Amino acid sequence: MRTLLWVSWLNLLRDKVALGTVFVLPVIFFSIFAAIFVGMSGGGGGGSSAVQKLNVVALDLDESRVSQSLLGQLQSTTELELTVQRPSELTQAKNRDDIRQEVRTGKYNAGLVIPADFGRHFPDFAGQGPAIELIYDGANPMAKPMIGGVMQGSAFTAAPDLMMERGFEFLDQNAGWFLTDQQRTILQALQQQLRDATSLANNENSDESEDTNATDVGLNALNGLVRISASEARDDTDRAQQQNQAKRKRSSMTAYYAAGIGVMFLLFSTAGAAGSILDEEESGTLERVLSAIRSSQKLLLGKWLFYGLMGVVQLVIMFVFAWLVFGLDLWTVNHAVGFALMTVLTAAAASALGVMLATICRTRAQLNGVSTVVILIMSALGGSMVPRFVMPAFMQKTSKFTFNGWALDGYLNVFWYDDPNHSLVQSVATIVPQLAMLVAMTVAFLLVARSAAKRWEVQ
Amino acid sequence: MQHVLQVEGAERRFGSTHALCGADLHVLAGEVMALLGPNGAGKTTLIRSIVGRIRLDQGRIEMFGKTICEGGSAISPDQHTFARLGVVPQEIAVYPDLNAMENLRCFAELQGMARTEIQEQTAWVLEWTGLQDRAKDLAKTYSGGMKRRLNIGCSMMHRPQLLLLDEPTVGVDPQSRQRIWEMLQQLQREGTSILLTTHQLDEAQQISDRITIIDHGKTAASGSFDELCQTTIGLQRRVIIVSAQPIAPESLPTWEVDQHLAVCRVNNVATELADVLAVAKQAGVPIRDVQIEAPSLQAIFIHLTGKELRD
Repeated sequence: MRTLLWVSWLNLLRDKVALGTVFVLPVIFFSIFAAIFVGMSGGGGGGSSAVQKLNVVALDLDESRVSQSLLGQLQSTTELELTVQRPSELTQAKNRDDIRQEVRTGKYNAGLVIPADFGRHFPDFAGQGPAIELIYDGANPMAKPMIGGVMQGSAFTAAPDLMMERGFEFLDQNAGWFLTDQQRTILQALQQQLRDATSLANNENSDESEDTNATDVGLNALNGLVRISASEARDDTDRAQQQNQAKRKRSSMTAYYAAGIGVMFLLFSTAGAAGSILDEEESGTLERVLSAIRSSQKLLLGKWLFYGLMGVVQLVIMFVFAWLVFGLDLWTVNHAVGFALMTVLTAAAASALGVMLATICRTRAQLNGVSTVVILIMSALGGSMVPRFVMPAFMQKTSKFTFNGWALDGYLNVFWYDDPNHSLVQSVATIVPQLAMLVAMTVAFLLVARSAAKRWEVQ
Repeated sequence: MQHVLQVEGAERRFGSTHALCGADLHVLAGEVMALLGPNGAGKTTLIRSIVGRIRLDQGRIEMFGKTICEGGSAISPDQHTFARLGVVPQEIAVYPDLNAMENLRCFAELQGMARTEIQEQTAWVLEWTGLQDRAKDLAKTYSGGMKRRLNIGCSMMHRPQLLLLDEPTVGVDPQSRQRIWEMLQQLQREGTSILLTTHQLDEAQQISDRITIIDHGKTAASGSFDELCQTTIGLQRRVIIVSAQPIAPESLPTWEVDQHLAVCRVNNVATELADVLAVAKQAGVPIRDVQIEAPSLQAIFIHLTGKELRD
């Protein structure tokens, strides 16, 4: 038994790849996931600066002191990266549909539309005032609850004087016996102090703050201190279509996971299949084939083509299954064409990566170790395992260097950020950067493979 | 007779290792040439350079009258010339998850053969290798001998005029080995020239018309068995006297004496054996047994390459 343990240890010790797989890979993975989840909680060495802020646009149609104060408070939070747009400052008029479109296309994670009468009714305890419209991207399930919570928190500190004034007015109207004249006088003095303090605080947050009529206030306690009407960026306002919208949402999330898991396993299967090149090298079959065809380029292209076709079939099976079982919206012209383009180029790039790894490695064992490390890291960073929107900002940037990141972005553009009103050409145009990057990756991988395969050529 | 293959002064260096240092080799049309040498002598390098997988630093290779490799220059891409060549690697280089027919078809297609031609040749190769009954079984289910035969068959689909075999019988049982030699003899009868490397010296002696022995990357000797005998150990037979008692070396001063054995060489056993026995008796050797040993390729090989291990 002692001898067996000793021999096993020596074998492991002398196989550097296996050693790395056993001891280094788990640490790398731990680090990646720790970075993701520590970043989410704002703890750890990265601190709150590492947390990915939600990118939000706000259209302030009210432009009152209250709306400006509220938006100023939101801008000062660590959770949001808020861009405020005011009609008085815009060269071109905007409306809620423009905001919706910007969220739909992925420019912002969410949009806020402050209605024109918002300030006059704030705080509207009676629930009669207009609601702030929150338009969110359903691809980011954290957006809606996070912004809602931040909004309610900010509302407490946005205009405390108005809250108190309108609160007591509300009580006075509904229970007039509540305050004496003396109490009312004291409260008016306190209200003035709060107004001054708020004005000072807002000036610190935003130079754009300006005094407005203090009587333009209201109150609504329906959702807290501000009433929020939330809608998904892809939802239409027609309530009759809600059922279809829910279906679309499910379909889009299915597309996300089909793409994420599909791309990861595509990489595993192509890398595994490409290992047959090494098996053939070891058995002497490769030498025999090369003696017959006299070209390692032909060999590589043949292998690449086969693994690419295999990858296409694999992805088609994955998405057709998603269509059959999970109702993925695959059969619109825009989706089908986008899917076809993405699938062919994704499979081509994955195949090229597999061939490259197989030519770089000298043995099947090396390939297994290296491909496992490369694929798992790319999948983790690229969003195949964990949605990228939960990752810290620096990790989201890192994903741009991964195969999975680009492939996933392309599929999301096809199935998620699509605009039903787009023509086929417009729809395809949205994935051109991803397609171009996949082509570039394919070429780069094949060139590296070509270089590494020179060892099989005439010596 | 016409040369189908001529290698002259082949030199190739890999880093500080001289794999070939001026090897010469000539294969005539329709003959079986055995290429022998200890491990690391340069046999496989020479075969690979003939196949076009290794470029020579110096020297020249001519096949079917065309120069395919000249020292320092690129290997000729003449597909027509290489199409007349068949190569059987030392490894069993077939696809284990394909059956015999599929393997044969695969390598035939890689050689650029047409489909109808492949069908005809497949039937012939299956019969030639004796694999008809197992033609549709996966290669991985075959015995070692069957795999070897399939390995050879894959190189015969395009009916090459020159067949190179690198240790075609390694690791197979005597029956399978015999079958493989019969297959090769059949090819020779049909006009195929064969160049083979092997460590089965007795069989090489039996099957080959001529033998080339290389050592340290250069040709040590080349010719028919008799020619090799003449130029190395001679054609004399060894007469070995086995004594019942230890023999005193001074009693037979011109013989090789070792304990109970005394060895002398004769040119003609029929006429000289009686004299040899008489000399032994006269020297007081109590003869228990007499053995006569003809010159062997083994003896020539050891004579030329020495006894030290080359691993």
